[in-house]
Amino acid sequence: MDLLQGTLEMLVLRTLLAGSLHGYGIAKNIRSVSNEALDIEFGSLYPALKRLEAKGWVASEWETSEHNRRAKYYKLTAAGRKHLVREHSKWADFVSAVGLVMGTAPEVKG
Amino acid sequence: MRLKYLWPGRRRREEREMREELAALTAIAGTKELGNLTLAMEDARANWGWAWLDGILADIRYALRGMRRQPGFVAVAVLSLALAIGANSAIFSFADALLLRPLPVRNPAAVLDVTSTTPDNPFEGMSFPDYRDLREKSRSFSGLAAYRLTTLAVAANSEAAAQIHFANLVSDNFFAVAGVAPVMGRAFLAEEAKKSAEPVAMISYDFWQQNCGGDHAVIGRSLRINGIAFTIVGVTAPGFTGLDRFVSPNIFVPLGMGQRLDGEATDPLENRGRHDLVVKGRLGAGASQESAQAEMATLGAALEREYVKANRNRHVAVRTELRRRMQQTPQLLALAKMMMGLVALILIIACSNVANLLLARGRARSREIAIRLSIGAGRKRVVRQLMTESLMVAVAGGVAGLAVAYGGILLLQTMSVPSDPPSVLGVRLDWRVVEFSLLAAVGSCLFFGLVPAWQTARTDFVSALKSGGDGASGKGRTVGRDVLVVVQMALAMVVLIAAGMFLAGFRNMLVMPSDFRTDHLISMDTAPAVVHYTRDQAKDFYRRLVEGVRGTTGVAGVAMAESIPLSPSQSFVSVVPEGYQFPNGSEKAIVFGGPVDAGYFRTMKVEIQSGRAFTDDDRAGSRRVAIVNQQFAKAYWPGQEAIGKRIRLGNADGPAAEVVGVAKTGHYQSVSETPSPYVYLAYEQSPRMRMTLIVQSSGDAGGLAAALRDAVRAIDGNVPVFNLRPVATLYASRATGTWLNYFQMVGTMGFIGLALATAGLYGLIAYTVSRRVKEFGIRVAVGASRRDVVWLVERRGLTLAGAGIVIGGVLTKVTAPMLAASFPGLGTSSAVVHGLVPAVLVVVSAAASYVPARRAAGLDPLRALREE
Repeated sequence: MDLLQGTLEMLVLRTLLAGSLHGYGIAKNIRSVSNEALDIEFGSLYPALKRLEAKGWVASEWETSEHNRRAKYYKLTAAGRKHLVREHSKWADFVSAVGLVMGTAPEVKG
Repeated sequence: MRLKYLWPGRRRREEREMREELAALTAIAGTKELGNLTLAMEDARANWGWAWLDGILADIRYALRGMRRQPGFVAVAVLSLALAIGANSAIFSFADALLLRPLPVRNPAAVLDVTSTTPDNPFEGMSFPDYRDLREKSRSFSGLAAYRLTTLAVAANSEAAAQIHFANLVSDNFFAVAGVAPVMGRAFLAEEAKKSAEPVAMISYDFWQQNCGGDHAVIGRSLRINGIAFTIVGVTAPGFTGLDRFVSPNIFVPLGMGQRLDGEATDPLENRGRHDLVVKGRLGAGASQESAQAEMATLGAALEREYVKANRNRHVAVRTELRRRMQQTPQLLALAKMMMGLVALILIIACSNVANLLLARGRARSREIAIRLSIGAGRKRVVRQLMTESLMVAVAGGVAGLAVAYGGILLLQTMSVPSDPPSVLGVRLDWRVVEFSLLAAVGSCLFFGLVPAWQTARTDFVSALKSGGDGASGKGRTVGRDVLVVVQMALAMVVLIAAGMFLAGFRNMLVMPSDFRTDHLISMDTAPAVVHYTRDQAKDFYRRLVEGVRGTTGVAGVAMAESIPLSPSQSFVSVVPEGYQFPNGSEKAIVFGGPVDAGYFRTMKVEIQSGRAFTDDDRAGSRRVAIVNQQFAKAYWPGQEAIGKRIRLGNADGPAAEVVGVAKTGHYQSVSETPSPYVYLAYEQSPRMRMTLIVQSSGDAGGLAAALRDAVRAIDGNVPVFNLRPVATLYASRATGTWLNYFQMVGTMGFIGLALATAGLYGLIAYTVSRRVKEFGIRVAVGASRRDVVWLVERRGLTLAGAGIVIGGVLTKVTAPMLAASFPGLGTSSAVVHGLVPAVLVVVSAAASYVPARRAAGLDPLRALREE
């Protein structure tokens, strides 16, 4: 499934709302939450993550994982949280607007 | 794009951080799961916004590495550019000082020159009454200012010795029209224009610094000018050098002071026949040069109708400053044109060198580039890399060129302007020149770097990889580069021929006998007018001075003249030769000439060819006499006997003088002038207030200087003495000095041209040899002797040089006559020059080819064949 532009950033922010994760953890999390529908390549996710960090919406820190491995963990900043709220309401508006236009699934007659 | 990432250290830290992070994730997830991490990092880096900078830095580092490997290439390219750009900048500065520099006023483009013209003299000055009328009626100009350049004797007080300074007598609105505010004090007030006003003066910034020590209390202080106490009211802005081109006035006084300063009986400002003012106008809003010209023509015609006597055939011309300069000094225009032309040739030769080197490098590196292309580098990226290299060469050349230009300007600054008091040519490096030279460097390198870059990037890399490193065939075909070298040789020949012509001209001047005596002579100017002598007092002063000097030991003879030949300020006379039919509109001839005394011809050894010289009997009451030179007789009385003819002095109604002798034509203003008519008047019959004393010494002429000063002091210590110098010194600076300067400039161009063209030829031959190593190896292996190989290489070098010489010879057929026409005195021995220059080129080319030829002949055939 292709992602609309900016959607990836929104997904990453939403994922980090639950708690801090490292880069690969974010990718895995999105995949499992979406029931494997959103398989985001790490090669796309990583630059997006760095972009969010550069904008100050996420912050990173070295931590030790549950398996006692060091990794860089990203967490949502206050600014990131505000941005997510804005994006979320925009997203909700968008989905409901598209829903209104599309209505119920049409029957296809052969 | 984030500024914090601009600092490379910051980016390095981020980079390290990123690597660690990804390494840690790889340990957790495995390589396969994470995909192409290099690409991920590259995309992440793009967030910083400075990727392009990193790219450029990498390009520069790479280029520097490459340059370190080929120092010869870089040195020749940079040096070529440096010489060409340096020469161009220096000559541009020179032309700027000669002609191009705008007036030092606010918005100089709006300031136009307004001149009174007659058919006899398109640059005659304006009379004050005419100026006043024009100023009153003009609507096109927001202001019309008038001034005249003069010299004044300036002293701090009545005890101090006076010094001669350039000065401007200016209209009250002079500084307002110029738009230049004084740095201290104020400019002149309208009421100070009246001749009854208190004497006030402004001093130049330089005068303030040099003569007043930059003292701020100078305003209100008194200054004695021509013996009159003036009050200093202002100091002009630094850099305001007046409106004349080569001399900058130190003193400014209102025009109304002129009569008192010169001690004249009548007011020159009321004399409509006295044309000595320069007028500049600032265009008003909405006016153009055309509308101003139209208005001035109308007003001028009205003045001509109203004042028929003074203004017959007189018109008013409006010109731009540049046009005036070009028309007024065509010889300087010719000089500037020639020098600009020569340096343009030098620039072409240098650019050909750079182009050749870049081309050779591009070829030699086609294998490397093919590899880079084949492993996925974008063509654009490769071109950018090559352009970076060209640009670096350009910038290095430009910077070095500025250094060369600076040196050249220091040399040009020593050129003196023929003026009394002496001044130097104000050549200076300005920002326009800096821009010009950098633009020339970058432009030429980009252009010549683009061609090879484009060619290289288009390389068919499969064949380049297969062949031995060179995209071209093993023979090293270099048609385009051959053409460049031939062009270089041809242009070098043109420049060298020009240099040779100037050397011949200089030599001619050295061996040319002077047309008057220069040895054992010393001259001295005095100006009794400065201390307000009357005409009779001045006459008496000079009579006593001549007597006093004659009685001094070591003096063999004394004479007087208004001006001596080749002195910077030549006097003129207006004459109407009897029986001569003037062309339409013209009514008199303005020729070199002036009064001389009876001893002049003997002392100066000016030959009288027929008739007689002046004698002591040619005195005030006796019949007026004149002596003309041969050229005058030829011009105005062709085929007739000049002796016995009469000349009216001033105009057709003036007093008549009978020609009693014909003198040999000499050189009056410059040794290379075309023969000019000259009229000598008898001093006793036409005395002047300001004469030059010429003293013949029995011993060293310079040794008389102190005695001459004493002789003046014995009569009146207040009369200023100036331009006291041996005539030989004057002659050397005016006759040979100018030509030496010309030759030095053109000779330097010739040398640079030759050096650059030789480097170009050498570079090409060396390159060809290196491309043909294998071929030479085979030749030696199958029995060619070393001499055969040397000749093989030499033949190529000489063929190219020969082609260049032939083309250069054709070009010279055009350029040499152009030069000879612009510079009289050139080219008499051009046969030698035309033979010598090709010989020099052949010898130098042979030598330049010999070095690589030796290398080719010295190749070890086995190693040469192995080399691939």
